[in-house]
Amino acid sequence: MTLGSRLRVALSALLLPWAVQACGPADGSADRPEDGAAPDTSAAATSTAGAVTLTDADGRRVHLARPAARVISLVPSATQILAALGAAGLVVARTDHDTVSWAQVLPSVGGGLQPSLEAVVAARPDLVVRFAGPQDTRTPAALDELGIPHVGIRPDRIADALDAVRLLGEATGRGAAADSLVRRLQAELDSVRAATAGLPPLRVAYVLGGDPPWVAGPGTYIQELLEIAGGENAFADLGSLYAAVSVEEFLARDIDLILTPAAGRLDARVTAGLRVVEVGDALEFPGPGVAEAARTVAALLRPGERR
Amino acid sequence: MSRLGLGAALLAALAAAVVLGVRFGPVHLTTGEVLAALAGGGPEWQRQIVVELRLPRLLLGALVGGGLALAGATFQALLRNPLAEPYILGISGGASVGAVLVLALGLAGATSWALPLAALAGALLAIALVFRVATASGRNLDVRVLLLAGVVVAAFFSACVAFILSVSEARTVQGAVLWIMGSLAGASWASVGVTAGYTLPAAALLLTLARPLNLMAIGEETAHYLGADVEKVKRTALALAALLTAAGVAVAGVIGFVGLVVPHAIRLLVGSDHRALLPLSFLGGATFLVLSDIVAQLVLAPTQVPVGVITAFVGVPLFLVLLRRSLIP
Repeated sequence: MTLGSRLRVALSALLLPWAVQACGPADGSADRPEDGAAPDTSAAATSTAGAVTLTDADGRRVHLARPAARVISLVPSATQILAALGAAGLVVARTDHDTVSWAQVLPSVGGGLQPSLEAVVAARPDLVVRFAGPQDTRTPAALDELGIPHVGIRPDRIADALDAVRLLGEATGRGAAADSLVRRLQAELDSVRAATAGLPPLRVAYVLGGDPPWVAGPGTYIQELLEIAGGENAFADLGSLYAAVSVEEFLARDIDLILTPAAGRLDARVTAGLRVVEVGDALEFPGPGVAEAARTVAALLRPGERR
Repeated sequence: MSRLGLGAALLAALAAAVVLGVRFGPVHLTTGEVLAALAGGGPEWQRQIVVELRLPRLLLGALVGGGLALAGATFQALLRNPLAEPYILGISGGASVGAVLVLALGLAGATSWALPLAALAGALLAIALVFRVATASGRNLDVRVLLLAGVVVAAFFSACVAFILSVSEARTVQGAVLWIMGSLAGASWASVGVTAGYTLPAAALLLTLARPLNLMAIGEETAHYLGADVEKVKRTALALAALLTAAGVAVAGVIGFVGLVVPHAIRLLVGSDHRALLPLSFLGGATFLVLSDIVAQLVLAPTQVPVGVITAFVGVPLFLVLLRRSLIP
């Protein structure tokens, strides 16, 4: 849009302060599919060869005229998924949190939340993969304004990670590769589950650290991994995904062992008398590494046993 | 320093800051590319960077910064308290409760205006509550009660925020912290238009109250004997300053130090005649926030430092130097 037309937008907003409420969401790419979908489906079918309509983790429908060829991933696990789908070559920028070595040569857009919008625009993406949910409200609004399509992914549970694989597969025209990756990961998870099935479950607390200590609750990727690997989350009754709990809770509960990214961050009263196992960042990226993570946890829980 | 001299200097500085901000950003563009983008030529992505990202962000920074500094100067005069700043009456607390509720209830994705509207509603609720308490005694608005009520209401709202966040998911907490920290990253021409729609008329009206505010600064009783309609001035000025603050908080979150430090700095330079202090505070606040935001974007580019960090890092030492100089005869 030209400067003049933008000034007119600002001016009309100035004159009718809340009128923009009504037109604001209409700018959003989420509403676009409906725009041209109804009138003549025959024309749509021929002209949109290769067009993709996606439903992201926020439930937004996003329409791409053709499979994405220039992707910015603001979510580290999505970057790993793209690589696992053979789409690493489509990634045109990275964030400061991407640890995979192949991405380090790419320009950075800053953090995954509130990245530099200029750096995003300069990379000329035709798709931005961002965190779903309320973590960053400014970036999706700005991408809508700029007309850059974006999809949200939610890296919470194993099913979310597999959904993200399918979503990114469809978005990049690699649906078949995504389906086979999902099947492979599911088979690998099943084999870990089968290997630990007959064993008495160990009661495990996953402690992120902090004072009071933060633990993983129900509905987390961590709890699912624990259950597959022959464990049981000692905090499966929490009210939210992650929560801070009192030291008393640790003493009162029957816990066999503590899993933690870094043992140095833990309160000594929490760990007193318990086996503490460090896992580093192995459980932090719910992506294509999910089966590997399940095997790692299974081995850590029962170091003596062979599978 | 003469008032006109400082006014001219600040205006020149603001113009220079805007030119600087259009020319330089996290992405390197040449002068030719920037000029071509402004003229409507060049590649689409360069036009987007210059016309849809840099320009609205600079204008929003000027409006929010100017509004905060003007509101701060007004609160300092009316409350006769040097520690007064735009957020002192619980406005930021109310806005934060609104914003955090929208985030926690998962409504933020519905429309990009849900969050600013909720923040504005929270801010207005806080103002209404504090005014109600301060006028409870009768027809007169007691500024000491207003100040106390404001501090208490702010404490209550911050407890509300802490409670909502403590029962929220980690990602809601993250979103809330990012929002509350304040940023001009959400700038668009529409948000510039809305903010201008609130800020410019409110600022213009406040400037017309400069003379009665001079009298009020001496004392309400004196002002009354000198012919000022004390109650009307107080209520109008407070409502306008609160509206300025609420509009700023709604679009940019809570940005500290601009509203506290800029009016004091201007006062140290040209004295406390509000006919000069108010317009110069607006210009000073606008310039200060625009420059701070440029630094915030460039210093660790492409990582964005919260602009409130820069306003504190630059504003505090600058202010301490001014303060020290004012004490040396």
